[in-house]
Amino acid sequence: MKKKKPFAAVEPYLWLLPSILLMTVFILFPIFEVFRTSMSEVSKAGLIKGFCGLDNFTKVLRGSTFKLVLHNTIVWTVAVVVISTVFGFILALVLNNKFRCRKAVRAIVVFPWATSLIIQAGVWKFIIDKDYGALNTLLMKIGLISSPVNWTPTPQAYFAWEIFVGIFVTVPFVTFCVLSGLQSIDNSYYEAATVDGANYWQKLFKITLPLVKSSLTVSTVLNIIYVFNSFPIIWTITKGDPASRTDTLVTYLYKLAFYKGKSGEAAAVSVIGFLILCLCASIYMVVSLRKEEE
Amino acid sequence: MNNHTRGTKHVILRVLLYLFVILVVLVTLYPYFVMFTTAAKSRAEIYSTDGTLLPIHWLWQNFKDIWTLAPLSRYFINSLIVAGGSTLIAIICGIPAAYALARMKFKGKKIFLGIVIISQMFAPVVLLVGIYKIMSTFGMTDSLVGLVFINAAFNQAFAIWLLRGTFISISPEMEQAATVDGCGKVSALIRILLPVAAPGIVTALIFVFINAWNEYTVALTLISTDVLKPLTVGITIFNGYNMVEWQYLFASSLFATVPVIILFVLIEKHLVGGLTSGGVKG
Amino acid sequence: MKRKLALAMVLAMTASMAQPVLAADSKTTLDVIISQYGTQTQAWWSQFEKDFEAENPDVDLNIEIVSWNDLYTKVNTLVANNNAPDILNIDVLADYVADDLLMPATEYASEDLQSKFFPAFWDASTIDDTVYALPILASCRALFYNKDILDEAGASVPTTWAEIQETAQKIKDKFGDDVYPWGIDMTTDEGQAAFSYYTWNNGGGFVDENGDWALNSEKNVEALNFAVGLVNDGYTNSDPANETRYDLQDMFGASKVAMMIGPNNIPTYLSDGGYDINYDVTTIPANEGCESVAMGVCDRLEVFKDDSAEDQDARTAAITKFFDFFYDDERYADYMVYEGFLPTTQTAADLLAKDDDTFASWIDILQSCNFYPATKTEWADVKQGVIEVEQNALLGDDVQTLLDDLQADIAG
Repeated sequence: MKKKKPFAAVEPYLWLLPSILLMTVFILFPIFEVFRTSMSEVSKAGLIKGFCGLDNFTKVLRGSTFKLVLHNTIVWTVAVVVISTVFGFILALVLNNKFRCRKAVRAIVVFPWATSLIIQAGVWKFIIDKDYGALNTLLMKIGLISSPVNWTPTPQAYFAWEIFVGIFVTVPFVTFCVLSGLQSIDNSYYEAATVDGANYWQKLFKITLPLVKSSLTVSTVLNIIYVFNSFPIIWTITKGDPASRTDTLVTYLYKLAFYKGKSGEAAAVSVIGFLILCLCASIYMVVSLRKEEE
Repeated sequence: MNNHTRGTKHVILRVLLYLFVILVVLVTLYPYFVMFTTAAKSRAEIYSTDGTLLPIHWLWQNFKDIWTLAPLSRYFINSLIVAGGSTLIAIICGIPAAYALARMKFKGKKIFLGIVIISQMFAPVVLLVGIYKIMSTFGMTDSLVGLVFINAAFNQAFAIWLLRGTFISISPEMEQAATVDGCGKVSALIRILLPVAAPGIVTALIFVFINAWNEYTVALTLISTDVLKPLTVGITIFNGYNMVEWQYLFASSLFATVPVIILFVLIEKHLVGGLTSGGVKG
Repeated sequence: MKRKLALAMVLAMTASMAQPVLAADSKTTLDVIISQYGTQTQAWWSQFEKDFEAENPDVDLNIEIVSWNDLYTKVNTLVANNNAPDILNIDVLADYVADDLLMPATEYASEDLQSKFFPAFWDASTIDDTVYALPILASCRALFYNKDILDEAGASVPTTWAEIQETAQKIKDKFGDDVYPWGIDMTTDEGQAAFSYYTWNNGGGFVDENGDWALNSEKNVEALNFAVGLVNDGYTNSDPANETRYDLQDMFGASKVAMMIGPNNIPTYLSDGGYDINYDVTTIPANEGCESVAMGVCDRLEVFKDDSAEDQDARTAAITKFFDFFYDDERYADYMVYEGFLPTTQTAADLLAKDDDTFASWIDILQSCNFYPATKTEWADVKQGVIEVEQNALLGDDVQTLLDDLQADIAG
């Protein structure tokens, strides 16, 4: 028994080892590189010339564009995550009912998730175009409008469309998560509640919500991170134009790095984004892990 | 009377339900309808001022042409290798980690879970330089193996969190009984726990597969040999300097969506319960 | 029997393993990145690779075609890892020279080849009296207009800015919302081109006569105000900050845009797309009292230094062969026709002009073109800077203030 003890102490780490190796080598090392770059002077061609402390950060924070871009990023993340979570939840509730072709409908709902984001964004850009867009053609053929509508007259309108596309591709993921959760809830809970005279809403809030809540929080946290860092939708539709009005941190730093040759500042922007996400995630971790221990 | 109103209410609810479902299906399929009809149009018709819903002349040829304009079948195979391989590795590495996190007590558990989340916090675009550096150290810059590992690593977070939740939701008693019977931890895991945890594993599987199938940025930077390109990167050939060949881009994208849908339909029935158990304790 | 088989297998295995090693000893490998000009770029270069390797068995070419959307991402990552390709086809230059990454062209371009280039193109990549790149191809911008639309509106082809407004108004009166009289593109893709079209044709530009940045000159402010004015007066496409030149070209083909400034390969673009319109081409209109200035665009082939190469002489010799092979008159002319661009060598131009009059006239225009000041170190900042100025101006900001800020930022 005594012999076994040292092994028992290291055993968990052995189980973790493959995963740790995989992530350390392929992700943590590149992340370390980002930190290094953010504190280095980098030539326009991309070569690191030396340590420069926090110069890149002060340069980024001084510009007025950064505030605008940060504001956009928060609006983008909150809007996409909140709306797609709520809508995805409702959709899952609906799809959990029995109706004809349910299986087909469920498969169709996954479509937007199965197509790459670049293509999804490309199609929507094509759909909403004023001059040759499919939406105007459709509405004109149906007779709802008589002349083409400019769906994107302002940068704000563009941004709203981008948020719509973001929601469109995120909903399947949420629906998928909630749906598989709903299906595993034992029917006896509902039967008991019906006997007790509970109405639909009471059942929803007392039984359904608590039971899918935790699966929803995991998917929501990951969603926040993915949406915050999402690149293809905005890049394909507007490239952050005009003049950064539709930029988020990721498209902004992409332009800094690859269009302006400022890799150091780009890395600084991504570190700032990381810190913001860290703050949000640690709040979540503290709350959810504490609950789990209770 | 009461019964009557309830019946009417029921009918109205049913109608609303169907209307809602139909609306969702229409909106979801609309972009695919646009992709499909655009793929069969000539460029002149795509941009015509007198827009058409359906092509005047169906150019079915476009769907055929893409297979000769680019080594599309080669790209398909590459994507399958990358998505399949990284799914396999992500699950194989994720299962033991999730098991340890669910069943064992040890120092640094929370830190590890935190690091797993942190690994997701940088957009791949930002990590390119570092990824390339590590890949050239291993001589994997222009190889599918490199892509397999990267995608597996990027999807570790979801796999671990999901599987950990699944395992926690399953009572450890059965494994304990098996261990007492002289069965090692590893074989108890494989024989007892994994079959019960199948829905969670299937969910993780489809998630990783879809993400790896659609990954673009890293593949673009790492792969330089044409015959090694996955589908997402390969079809950028239709996105030239002179023009975007919408018809070809959409036609090939439609083909690219098919494998994922097939996979989903095939394993959908195993999904039941996968994600809830991911969070809810049993 | 079994033993023989085993022996044969071992032999086969060693042979297959040894082969690449042997080959590596005698072969020079060149990594080449070519940017994608059309859907068929890959096909042309695959054939090139085959032909070249057949003729030069001692050189192993790895040619990769990268789309312009991804070119900078890819190259930046490679350069940051000290792993630049041997030969790169791109438009930018100064940043690499600043880091001393490029070989001077005279070190690898044979004298024979050097003498082939039009002097202006050979000089176009000169920084501090050293030539750092070879011009791969050129294109030339002019005004394209839809004859039928102009005729129907009773409008004449504009040669001055005032006439642009006049013609645009006539088209607007006749066609209302159905036709955009004037196409304009101020996107992140190519907004610097719009800056050039208007400032150069108003006697302004990126730099002053000494070659110093002069972004906020009076002429430039006037030019941008004119361009933005066209948008505000409703003479242009509805979304200049997001509609790229390719969108405009397609809308031009679809008779939705009546006039636009575009490159010489628009005819190829239109016929490839199956468009059927009656159009013609003329010089870019200039402001009253200014001379019309055509715009030329020139992409480059650059050779990166590679200190890790074992045999520098063999590498340089292989590169020389590559260029001699590529710029071979017949082959190079074929590539120009294939992609719809203009040649940068006199000899290929002569060859093409012989069969095709339009080519001859374009090559004439090319001689008088202005080019971007891409050899200046700040070019990347200026390029993005003027695009931002344009887009902010479209949103209603004051052009003078915007350009003053940019000038202070760049020349500061």
